[in-house]
Amino acid sequence: MIEVKNVTKKFGRKKVLQGVSFTANKGEITCLIGVNGVGKTTILNGIVNLTPMSSGEILIDGEKLTKETYEKVAFIPDAITMLPHMRIEEAMQFMQDFYNSWNNERAEELLQFFKLKKEDRISSLSKGNVAKANLLLGLALDVDYLLMDEPFSGIDIFSREQIADVFTSHLVEDRGVIITTHEINDIEHIIDKVVLLDDGIVFKEFETEEMREVEGKSVVDVMREVYRG
Amino acid sequence: MKITFNKRDPVYVQVVQHFKEQIVSGKYELGQEIPSRRELANQLKINPNTAQRAYKEMEEAGLIFTEGNNPSRITKDEQVLRDLRTELIEGAVDRLIAAVEPVNIPIDELIGLIQEKYEEQRRGQV
Amino acid sequence: MNNYLKLVNFELGRFIKIYFILAGITIASQLIATVLVANNYMKLFNEEIYTNGMTTEQFVETHGEFSLLHVQYSQLFDFPIIFAAATLIIYSFFIWYRDWLGKNTFIYRLLMLPTARINIYLAKASAIFLMVLGLVALQVILLNVESNILKWMVPANLRVDLGIMEFIGNAVGGFSVGLIIPTSFIEFLIHYGVGFMVVFILFTAILFERSYRFKGIAYGIGYAIIAFVVFFAPFVVEMILGKSYLYPIELFILEVLLWVVVTGVSIWVSNYLLNKKVTV
Repeated sequence: MIEVKNVTKKFGRKKVLQGVSFTANKGEITCLIGVNGVGKTTILNGIVNLTPMSSGEILIDGEKLTKETYEKVAFIPDAITMLPHMRIEEAMQFMQDFYNSWNNERAEELLQFFKLKKEDRISSLSKGNVAKANLLLGLALDVDYLLMDEPFSGIDIFSREQIADVFTSHLVEDRGVIITTHEINDIEHIIDKVVLLDDGIVFKEFETEEMREVEGKSVVDVMREVYRG
Repeated sequence: MKITFNKRDPVYVQVVQHFKEQIVSGKYELGQEIPSRRELANQLKINPNTAQRAYKEMEEAGLIFTEGNNPSRITKDEQVLRDLRTELIEGAVDRLIAAVEPVNIPIDELIGLIQEKYEEQRRGQV
Repeated sequence: MNNYLKLVNFELGRFIKIYFILAGITIASQLIATVLVANNYMKLFNEEIYTNGMTTEQFVETHGEFSLLHVQYSQLFDFPIIFAAATLIIYSFFIWYRDWLGKNTFIYRLLMLPTARINIYLAKASAIFLMVLGLVALQVILLNVESNILKWMVPANLRVDLGIMEFIGNAVGGFSVGLIIPTSFIEFLIHYGVGFMVVFILFTAILFERSYRFKGIAYGIGYAIIAFVVFFAPFVVEMILGKSYLYPIELFILEVLLWVVVTGVSIWVSNYLLNKKVTV
């Protein structure tokens, strides 16, 4: 379980996060929803210590982050984290060199799944294929938790469908996933849990199936209530 | 297999409903093997947890059964099938009645209309 | 340790193309300088002997014997050294900023490697250091090659053959060679020890900027000033008092201690910043 406890973050005088708390379970897909600039990316950066938080605590399976945590939690930012001139195979080699949790079989499978060519240079790929290559580098790690920042933004519809398929496949199954998005439509049916953020706080945290069952509301219904109400 | 989900009913309820319709219509035969939870999630593009939940509900309702480590199967119990058939038909008729009730239409006219439209649709499908 | 070495290898690989270009420029430029200068000398010799009727002895008396020392006055000889040094100094900044700037988010990857983050810092510093030493080694080899070119172009009676150390000891025109290849091992340690310390201080200042951004620039500059003041404190004190209280050997030992302190603190502060403060 990833626990975010009363986390705050200031950039200069601007308070981006003002006491955010939520949990994300293993084996579930948790979705951080909010308009742009609401601090979703900052939260993910905070979980993997790419940006220090001003206060609060973040625990992963009850422990604070150490260097070993990066073998257990993979963060996939919204831009690829490899050098543009690298070929996909070189990027894969880099990952294999540094991560014990790198699973080369899975990587090969993902190459096929996404129809990517190993020998292509990252700089020569289309936007959609860069997003897929980026995803590949994260998904091929045998980690318990995957954090994905806006995996659907700025790419074509077919790439979006392909990426959405990942979530319903064994590539994600049993792992804990946190994804951020401002566009819920593509994935409403595949997420377990929603954390609605606004003005640097958690407005609402709920299980999607429970919300449909008990209140008969879709995720978008709830968002409408929260953001317009 | 493709289902268009609505967004307000729980997905697992919609999956169960889909299975009931398939069983009653005979597209699934009694005792037939069904996809694993993972396969189902993948086919329907739903969360594996949701597929799991749907199967659990169906198992509890006796619609499917699992022996040991074998794949799950549709029930072999004819009685369950009959009950299911009644449930679906009665449910549909209840909804129809509720819908036409405010219009206050005489029963004969309604039956005639149903017959006409139903046959028309069947012909259309063939 | 293993990851550190992989990172050093990776950092070297990222700069290798430009590095080879630097080496290429150095080789080409210095060889051309050697040939040109030797050629000019021989032209002058022929002119004086055949046109002006000088004897060889008179020529040597007037114009001096030829040696590598003539070559180092050529700008073509000095330029690549200064150019390579400047490039490596600029790259000492760029080796960090290239991971952040533009669309590049490679710093995400580096910071998320399952290894102590200080290894990134040490690997970058090591890469710079290895590249500097590599160019120095190249220069030593080049001096030998150039010396042989002279033997081939200038007759023995017009020429003095200098060993590398003799050459460096006497090289004054081009300051660069004397600076990059000191004549004694101790001097070598001092030059490159101080150089390495400066790299560590610079990296720490960069990490201050990367951690606190605008305010960090001030912190970084402040840190660098303090570090230099501490390191050079014994000299500053002596200058102010106008007296020397320490024997050279005492001063040397004190400086070694201060070097350890400044370098150690830089690494320690950087480790802290990388783990607790740095942001993508």
